[in-house]
Amino acid sequence: MTLIYALAAGALFGIGAYLVMRRDLLRVVLGVVVISQAATLTLMASALGFGAAPIYPLPSGAISDPLSQAMALTSVVIGLATTALLLVLVLRVVDVFRSQGLDEVAEDEVAQEATLDAEHALGHEDEEAAAR
Amino acid sequence: MSHPTPLAWLAVVIAALAFGACLLLAMSGGGRVDIPWIPSLGIRFELEFDGLAAMYALLATGIGVAVFTYGAGYLPIHLHHAHRPRDDDRRFWPWMLLFMAAMVVLACAQDLIVLFVAFDLTAVASYFLIGFDRERRDARGAAMMALLVTVTTAVLMLIGAVLLSVEHGTSSIPTLIDVAEAGPVTTLATLLIAVAALAKSAQVPLHFWLPRAMEAPTPVSAYLHSAAMVAAGVLVIGRIHPLLALEPMVLDGLLVIGVCSIVIGGLLSLAQDELKQVLAYSTVSQYGYVVVLYGLGGPVAAGAAAFYVIAHAIAKSALFMTAGTVILATDETRLSRLGGLVRPMPLLAAASGAAAMALAALPLTIGFFKDELFFAAATERGPLTGIVAVLAAALTLAYIGRFWLRLFAGPLGIEPHAVPRLLVVPILVLGVLGIAGGIVVEPFARLAEAAASVTYGAPVAIHPAYHLDTRPENLMALAAWLVGAIILVAAPIRQPIVTRVAVLGGRLGPRRWYGALLQGLSRLSDAIHGEEVRDLRRSVAAVLVPTGVLIGIGFLATPSAWDYRIGDIGREDLPVVVLLGLGVGAALTVTRDPGRLRPVLALSVLGFALAAVYAVMAAPDVALVAVLVEAVYTLVFVAVFAVLPLSQRAAASAAHTARRRRDLAAGVIAGIGAFITIWAALSREPSQRGDALELIRLTPQAHGSDVVTVILADFRGLDTMVEITVLAVAVVGATSLLRRGRSW
Repeated sequence: MTLIYALAAGALFGIGAYLVMRRDLLRVVLGVVVISQAATLTLMASALGFGAAPIYPLPSGAISDPLSQAMALTSVVIGLATTALLLVLVLRVVDVFRSQGLDEVAEDEVAQEATLDAEHALGHEDEEAAAR
Repeated sequence: MSHPTPLAWLAVVIAALAFGACLLLAMSGGGRVDIPWIPSLGIRFELEFDGLAAMYALLATGIGVAVFTYGAGYLPIHLHHAHRPRDDDRRFWPWMLLFMAAMVVLACAQDLIVLFVAFDLTAVASYFLIGFDRERRDARGAAMMALLVTVTTAVLMLIGAVLLSVEHGTSSIPTLIDVAEAGPVTTLATLLIAVAALAKSAQVPLHFWLPRAMEAPTPVSAYLHSAAMVAAGVLVIGRIHPLLALEPMVLDGLLVIGVCSIVIGGLLSLAQDELKQVLAYSTVSQYGYVVVLYGLGGPVAAGAAAFYVIAHAIAKSALFMTAGTVILATDETRLSRLGGLVRPMPLLAAASGAAAMALAALPLTIGFFKDELFFAAATERGPLTGIVAVLAAALTLAYIGRFWLRLFAGPLGIEPHAVPRLLVVPILVLGVLGIAGGIVVEPFARLAEAAASVTYGAPVAIHPAYHLDTRPENLMALAAWLVGAIILVAAPIRQPIVTRVAVLGGRLGPRRWYGALLQGLSRLSDAIHGEEVRDLRRSVAAVLVPTGVLIGIGFLATPSAWDYRIGDIGREDLPVVVLLGLGVGAALTVTRDPGRLRPVLALSVLGFALAAVYAVMAAPDVALVAVLVEAVYTLVFVAVFAVLPLSQRAAASAAHTARRRRDLAAGVIAGIGAFITIWAALSREPSQRGDALELIRLTPQAHGSDVVTVILADFRGLDTMVEITVLAVAVVGATSLLRRGRSW
């Protein structure tokens, strides 16, 4: 089963990494979701023992490792929180830049930063003073 | 407007108390503090008030009292001129006091790590003091330059300290001196520490920060740049001198750097027109003397070095304060515009005249003895160093003579306004001290002897005295005065030469290299920053690639990492295999799907499949939460889609296809890497059963029956609290983003 779990988690991570590298912000968020699923699966699979559920009254025989389950639970919940925040960020970006394509957003951002720099011309005032 | 603030008086009182305490300690024979600090690394907070510590602590606190008193009068006027509120001195005095405390700790430190911490603390305090006029860009730049030069080199000192303690198993300096033997590692380590010390003492070629630091208010220059900050460097050399002396080459290096500093500092000092610049280059040159003496080695030189530091500190801080008073009185900073101040300011002229005579080593001042000892140490080595010593002393006489004569002699340049008495009295005290030291030299000589004994590692005796005979020291002094007077008088020949040297130095000097280096670094960082904001994908790669490399190194470093286990697959595992296959298949469809609702639904198939897997793995808690979370995911996505405008998809171009292929390759590589890593991790034999059994055993005592719940709510309750905090932060963040930053 070790191999199967590793295969599944590895495949999910690969899919997630591919999605994160896409130019569409929505796909990036989906990629993050998939990667966190891979992480949870890995945590679950890394239990030191498998068996019955660790709930009293305990049956005789092997019992599943409760610690990895607790960690997986934490990871699931935090994954939800970060994803929700990411989604709202995407929403705001689309609202401001009128695009969810990363390339357009990045271009806009660089242009905006250049105007800011030109307006205030403060970029590196102190560093330049230190270099003189 | 010129009344000192209560805070200033408080600082003066603290300095006076500290001076009294140091004096008491010095007379009662010292004391020591030795407490474990980082026991796991064998680092102790080890302080001892020995001879060297006594000398530098007395200087730091004693000159401190004089300069703080001066500053109490100076700062209100300075702030008034800059149109700043009077209570802005609260940004000044705490740093001065911190600096003084750091200097005292540095003087007493017996452990290399403590030494390093105190050394860096002085740099931090000096940053804020030099940049006190923070509304001026030049002041900020000067502070930054001083910080960069002294702190970057201080890192070398830390590296040297670590090397030494790894090599010899201790960072305690006395123990190191006992056990260390000459060797490449020891030499390298001491060299690194010496570089840091030389940079701090503004030695060539890292001297350029000091003239720049004259942007600081004058009390700062009078304290940091005469008696304290720059003295910290030679203090460190004096402290670890027996380690440096293990390798004669290191001492020779010190000798060369010291001579270069004397000559370059002296010539450039003659070329300057601004008062404080003259004194700054003079400091470079004067600490060059001390470095030369440490480079010569031996008991005579060690004694001379310690005595030199005392005499120089007294004279130079008085001269800096003179410059400050003159600048405040005339609003003019250039020597060429000033002159003839002896009539309107006779007291100041006399006091600073005494200090100038002390620095120029004229008889009946403490300075005479500093050069007597210096000449004795130099002739001991050979005729060449003797000649260099005479030339150095002649240069000193010339630039200090030029400074004082241009200020006070000749026709009156600018009529000064009256200055508060506080701006003259401390100079007078130091001037009198300089004369007193020329008559009763004993206390200063004893202080220097005790310090030199620490530096040399054995008792040292020095006997400064007046001798009316033709011993070499006296002849050398006469020669130095003669040559110095000639240089002083021959201004028409001298000035073009030194101006040319200054211009050449400005064109090819280390400051240019430093500036180019800094601007290059700044441009590099800009380029990286630009890349980073321009392209999220590269920043994803910036996380993924180093992580992959680190994991690869981990694999190489772990020989057992290559044991893979396939694991048994029983009949009861069949549902898990099928569910995992379903989940991965659903996730795969997301990669091909251009739509936006279908991928989300596919992901929820993946989520529910995984929840079912967890249920089969006997983890009902995780399965239930996963089902709940999956439902919320889907709802959140659908809710966002409701307000997210549909984007106009660009037609797939050739560039898009190429990029898609590249991403695909990267994804496959990432997947394979993750697979190998996870498989290796899962294959490891558990070395122990872990805490699980203990947690299961303890659960009934926590009044629960579901172990996982009890772990989350009780055993690892703190983790859960942090988790809830993360959720809260996410909720606040998401809500304020949705409300566009409007308040509730």
